[in-house]
Amino acid sequence: MKEIVFLLEEPSARAMIEGIVPRIEAEPPPVRYIVFEGKQDLERQLIRKLRAYRNPDAVFIVMRDQDFADCRDVKENLKRKCADAGRPGAVVRVACRALESWYLADLAAVEAAFGTRGLAQRQNDRKFRTPDGLGNPDRELKRLVPEYQKIGGSKLIAPHLDLDNERSRSFYHLVKTIKDSLSTNNEYYLPVEIEL
Amino acid sequence: MKIESIRLKNFKAFRNAEISELPKMCVFVGANGTGKTTLFNVFSFLKDSLTDNVHVALTKQGGGRGFQEVRSRGADGPIEIELKFREKGDSPLVTYSLSINEENGRPIVEREVLQYRRGSKGQPWKFLDFSRGKGRAVTNEPDKVTDGSALQREEHELKSPDILALKGLAQFEKFPASKALGDLLENWHVSDFHIQQARPERESGYAEHLSREGENLAHVTEYLYRRHPDIFKTIIEKLKQRVPGITGVDSKVTEEGRVLRRFQDGAFQDPFLARHVSDGTIKMFAYLVLLHDPKPHPLLCVEEPENQLYPRLLAELAEEFRDYARKGGQVFISTHSPDFLNACELEEVFWLQKADGYTIIKRASEDQQIKAYMEDGDKLGHLWRQGFFGGADPL
Repeated sequence: MKEIVFLLEEPSARAMIEGIVPRIEAEPPPVRYIVFEGKQDLERQLIRKLRAYRNPDAVFIVMRDQDFADCRDVKENLKRKCADAGRPGAVVRVACRALESWYLADLAAVEAAFGTRGLAQRQNDRKFRTPDGLGNPDRELKRLVPEYQKIGGSKLIAPHLDLDNERSRSFYHLVKTIKDSLSTNNEYYLPVEIEL
Repeated sequence: MKIESIRLKNFKAFRNAEISELPKMCVFVGANGTGKTTLFNVFSFLKDSLTDNVHVALTKQGGGRGFQEVRSRGADGPIEIELKFREKGDSPLVTYSLSINEENGRPIVEREVLQYRRGSKGQPWKFLDFSRGKGRAVTNEPDKVTDGSALQREEHELKSPDILALKGLAQFEKFPASKALGDLLENWHVSDFHIQQARPERESGYAEHLSREGENLAHVTEYLYRRHPDIFKTIIEKLKQRVPGITGVDSKVTEEGRVLRRFQDGAFQDPFLARHVSDGTIKMFAYLVLLHDPKPHPLLCVEEPENQLYPRLLAELAEEFRDYARKGGQVFISTHSPDFLNACELEEVFWLQKADGYTIIKRASEDQQIKAYMEDGDKLGHLWRQGFFGGADPL
């Protein structure tokens, strides 16, 4: 039976994805979230979690923040682990640089979530035009919305995120991956790799 | 004495729940409010029913509206509790079932049966079968009877329909099964340790067993120090390994008759009094005292042993609980600690989850995915944190 399995580095990623899955597909197949205790824990346990997963029809989506590592290194390393675990079809998505980059790319959603007036207008400020390049998105977001916290904030923002937003490429690719895995009925479907 | 299974119907959050093939050590996890404490309360309820009557037991659990409050919301029909146990490893499986109802606003024992099978075939023999204050109990020694037809029964009427017939039978040495059950219900123990209770010096007194909240720790320390020096020495050795700096503990009764516990720190000449020692030290000391009890309880229930303890010590604590269970009593533990769970075995762990307002109990070993990961060398605490314990997580 088809199942979507997200392997995530922390609970805030789960909160975000839980907020967008029902908006992509009202009646999705079973979705499981395996939430690790940070990226080291994800890196360490990924192979075992994939290798001994019992459902042969499960579709895996691995996601972690890029933070200050090289995006391609992070991705290739995770891909290699998926292949080592016998799950070469698992899709790896890297948030450039962190979840907060995606929120900064959609200030209208942040404004709607927190009721902070005038935020959406600032989307055209130079630094929020392409927020994937911002070095410290967490700090930038807190500067705009001091009450933002990772899990609670993600729960609030996710329902407002514009799923067609292309301002952050990595968010766009994640949404596309989720759409592809949810929409296909073929149980043996392996999502097509998309270049970041 | 080992409990093999527990079945509950209409008991508070347990509308219909059953756990079977219980190991000597059982560990329960579950979000707040899923019924871990209620599960332990089954034994307080049975104890109160046995020593007083079901009316008192219901009032203790549910206040003035006793029966209505203890019976699951939205349920009608009686409250049912069934325990299956063995007196020893090879003795027959005994079933004790109790069904409590209400009639004209007063609780009554609808049915109370104690039965077991001799050998693996045939009808179970009912040693005790009562309903609404009347019934039959066996009078000859069951162990000497090999043919069911040789059992002699006598009609009895109890003083009131809300008392347990077991109360009478449990007194007699010649009924080992009922005596074992009575012993379990009277001597089971719950530990819900409160540091502030255990810290102060106390007027001298006598206690062999640590109390529920630990307020008699000073007395039990004094008892072990004087009467069981070898056990006391073991406790101190373990404490020294686990709490850096501690080199010894002793107990002293002052001239005014107060019991002092003095903790020696290797770096200082004068010992510290218990009231100045850290929470974690007191707690570790209390658990060591509890678990090295010269006369273990037949059933020990422990609520969240992890509080105040350094995470790395929890693995050893879990081993000590298992050791206690191996040597004597059965141990039920509720925990919220992944570190504690990491030290548990697959067969030992259960989780409680709510479904449509009522609690269901799941067993980790029956989940094929958890089993597959454990066979691959994973640990239960990690799997729990990663969300593999189904509905055990709060939303």
